[in-house]
Amino acid sequence: MTNKETVICRCEDITMREIQETVERFQCSSREVKLRTRAGMGSCGGRTCRGMVDKLVEQLGGPPISNEIALSYRPPVRPVSFGVLGGEEK
Amino acid sequence: MESFDVIVIGAGVIGSSVAYHLVKKGLDVALIEKGGIAAGTSSRCDAVALICDKKPGIDTEIGYASIQLFKQLAQELSVDFEFSSRGSLYVCETERELEIAQGYVADQVRDGYDMRMVDPHELLDIEPYLAPDLAGGIWTEADSSMNPYKLCYAFVEEGKKLGLKVFDYHAVSEIQRDVQGKIERVVTDRGTFKTRKIVNCAGVWSPKIAGMVGIEIPIVPRKGIVLITEKTSKQITRQKVHEFGYMLSKFEDIHFKRNVSELVEKHNVAFTIEPTDAHNFLVGGHRAFKGFDIRSEIDVMQAIAERALRFLPVLRDLNCIRAYAGVRPWVPDHLPIVSEVEEVPGFFIASGHEGDGISMSPITGKMVAQLITGEPTDFNIDKLNFSRYKKSNAV
Ligand SMILES: Cc1cc2nc3c(=O)[nH]c(=O)nc-3n(C[C@H](O)[C@H](O)[C@H](O)COP(=O)(O)OP(=O)(O)OC[C@H]3O[C@@H](n4cnc5c(N)ncnc54)[C@H](O)[C@@H]3O)c2cc1C
Repeated sequence: MTNKETVICRCEDITMREIQETVERFQCSSREVKLRTRAGMGSCGGRTCRGMVDKLVEQLGGPPISNEIALSYRPPVRPVSFGVLGGEEK
Repeated sequence: MESFDVIVIGAGVIGSSVAYHLVKKGLDVALIEKGGIAAGTSSRCDAVALICDKKPGIDTEIGYASIQLFKQLAQELSVDFEFSSRGSLYVCETERELEIAQGYVADQVRDGYDMRMVDPHELLDIEPYLAPDLAGGIWTEADSSMNPYKLCYAFVEEGKKLGLKVFDYHAVSEIQRDVQGKIERVVTDRGTFKTRKIVNCAGVWSPKIAGMVGIEIPIVPRKGIVLITEKTSKQITRQKVHEFGYMLSKFEDIHFKRNVSELVEKHNVAFTIEPTDAHNFLVGGHRAFKGFDIRSEIDVMQAIAERALRFLPVLRDLNCIRAYAGVRPWVPDHLPIVSEVEEVPGFFIASGHEGDGISMSPITGKMVAQLITGEPTDFNIDKLNFSRYKKSNAV
């Protein structure tokens, strides 16, 4: 990939350039890239971009991915309304 | 072998602040962290610095002093940690709660804090989306919020400018002492470091670090699950709003019965909501002793959503996009441990802040630096001394 303006995280609108700059500046893990840029923190929960962020960090020489620092999955699998979750609507 | 005046173990909000305040005193400091910065509880929490959730007395005094320090830090640190003082709102569901709240406010006002009762009318002026049948509330002017992991980054980056050495992805596995029992070396999986002083800031893991010098710390992980809403342009709330019943989930000695479902009761859920700068809202709150398990349990998520709808029916159509959980470093008497350990010269503890670690990080860091350089501390912190646990064991 060469186009730095390619959007990697579509939910939060984070480009390749932002991710690259963050890794280069802070030599950080995917998790830190996520916390610093919000890539993967949007409504899909990183399901679209997680793999790409992990790969980018690896290529750019961040800490090697271990179980502890690879991006994790968090529930719910899909967004669910508070009404449904709170038992008001079935 | 590299040598340091002080080694700080754990780069959560407490260790980051302690390390920053120590390098500011001109000391040679290493911050050793087994994961990345903010790998532990400090990136799995809410984001407020409150006085309204503290007990009257030293708890509130320290909380208030910390908020004042945050205002300075927001100027001093070059990384923006999204600090803002917006105040906070407690809501009371029943007359009974309101009565207890009045007693609490009277105590805090007597001590000089800006807190006041709010009637149901004003409640809706402040937060128009609140359920219309609430009994009243408390407004606390000083209460503030920030981004907790950015705060960690801010302390660390400013610290580095002053010479702080950070060893992330280094797990401490052993602490070696000399023949007199004084601290000598810290051993990690990636190297050994020399030092005469250690500050144990490992949060819920600090008992493990203390075990390396034969000390027992009564810190226990207390879990909390948080739900995140989708981004919304609706101003669901303008600042932190939580139910007064939260006090009951936090402190064992505050008793009143809420009219809640079995599910909410069973999971010790008390409603809280906070806006974030990213336009999502964080919805909680929950407290449970479940060891180190940080999975998001679906039944707890349901209980949190159910309780939130009671206070903010507007959430009904809003999506929950994610849940996460963290573990608070809980101590039996709800006061952190900030002290040197008598039996192990050079071994300091700054941990056990339970649900107030973010809020109390600046004052904790400042006072640990004062302890280590032998200056008088801003507060009389006898009550935060580790020796209190020995006494209670002896009785
Ligand atoms: C759901 C929830 C909501 C909360 N909301 C708030 C709030 O609104 N306001 C507030 O003030 N507080 C809040 N808290 C509490 C707050 O998050 C904690 O008090 C605080 O984060 C504790 O910080 P710490 O630095 O002590 O621990 P941590 O952040 O856990 O840091 C300890 C560090 O030590 C490291 N470590 C462990 N073992 C080792 C080892 N062997 N070697 C090296 N490093 C090691 C860990 O990796 C970790 O990074 C909340 C907590 C939860 C769970």
